[in-house]
Amino acid sequence: MELICQSKYYTFYQAEKERRFYIDFGQKTIPLNLCQLIALRHKVLSISIEDHFDSDLNKHGFEVLLLCNKEHLFVLNTLEILDLKELVQHSFCVMGIAATRQTASV
Amino acid sequence: MKDIARQSMSIKVESMDMLNGQIKMEAHASAIYLAMASWCEQNGFFTSAKFFFKQAEEEREHMMKIFNFLIDTGGSPISPEISNINHDYSSIVDVFESTLEHEVKVTTSIHNIVKKARELGDITTERFLDWFVMEQVEEENTIRDILDMIEVTGTEGVGLQMIDNQVANWIE
Repeated sequence: MELICQSKYYTFYQAEKERRFYIDFGQKTIPLNLCQLIALRHKVLSISIEDHFDSDLNKHGFEVLLLCNKEHLFVLNTLEILDLKELVQHSFCVMGIAATRQTASV
Repeated sequence: MKDIARQSMSIKVESMDMLNGQIKMEAHASAIYLAMASWCEQNGFFTSAKFFFKQAEEEREHMMKIFNFLIDTGGSPISPEISNINHDYSSIVDVFESTLEHEVKVTTSIHNIVKKARELGDITTERFLDWFVMEQVEEENTIRDILDMIEVTGTEGVGLQMIDNQVANWIE
């Protein structure tokens, strides 16, 4: 597996032979095809980080992420979400299917 | 490093995000025209209702065109959520003026995607949107012509009935 990008909490790999991607979440490493990776990107970038600073909108400061057609479930805190947003945006740039690192949510 | 992602996807993700936004806008337009058709039916403008039923179908076709383009290019189209559809209009003139206002917003949105695609060097998306650019010229022109006809006819006396009858000229 080839390392694409690494952040504080996560590592993103590409497996050429399998034509898949892997994200090491610390607790476990999950395989993703491109469609699942795009779905992850959409979910992660859609998370409103501002809500984490408003106890009415997000009481506990956690996000539940269901990935790969509900095969994996992660409960992530604010810092982990911020880091995952960063990883996703940087990885898409490295892979050449994003032109810029976005700041706005999708 | 092999470009596995690039091999599976022919457009930039930024373009995909904007096209998903456009899918939502076209779906919203379709829902608005359906609400207008409902208003026209309830207020006795039966020809105008037919016109808006057709417009609603056309907007849905536009949405599906973008939806299928995203599938063809390896992207991920998102089925849109639609809410806040206005069903209240003060007159038939208000209905057509709101239509023109909405069409101008759609045109602006498409132009913005073309500009961004050009900036990203995403020729595929830029060329795909050529059809939409010309389609919007036609859409805006149709509504402008109807508004001109309304102004010439006037809304006094049998004017409203004449306006509704003449809308048939713009139903293909």
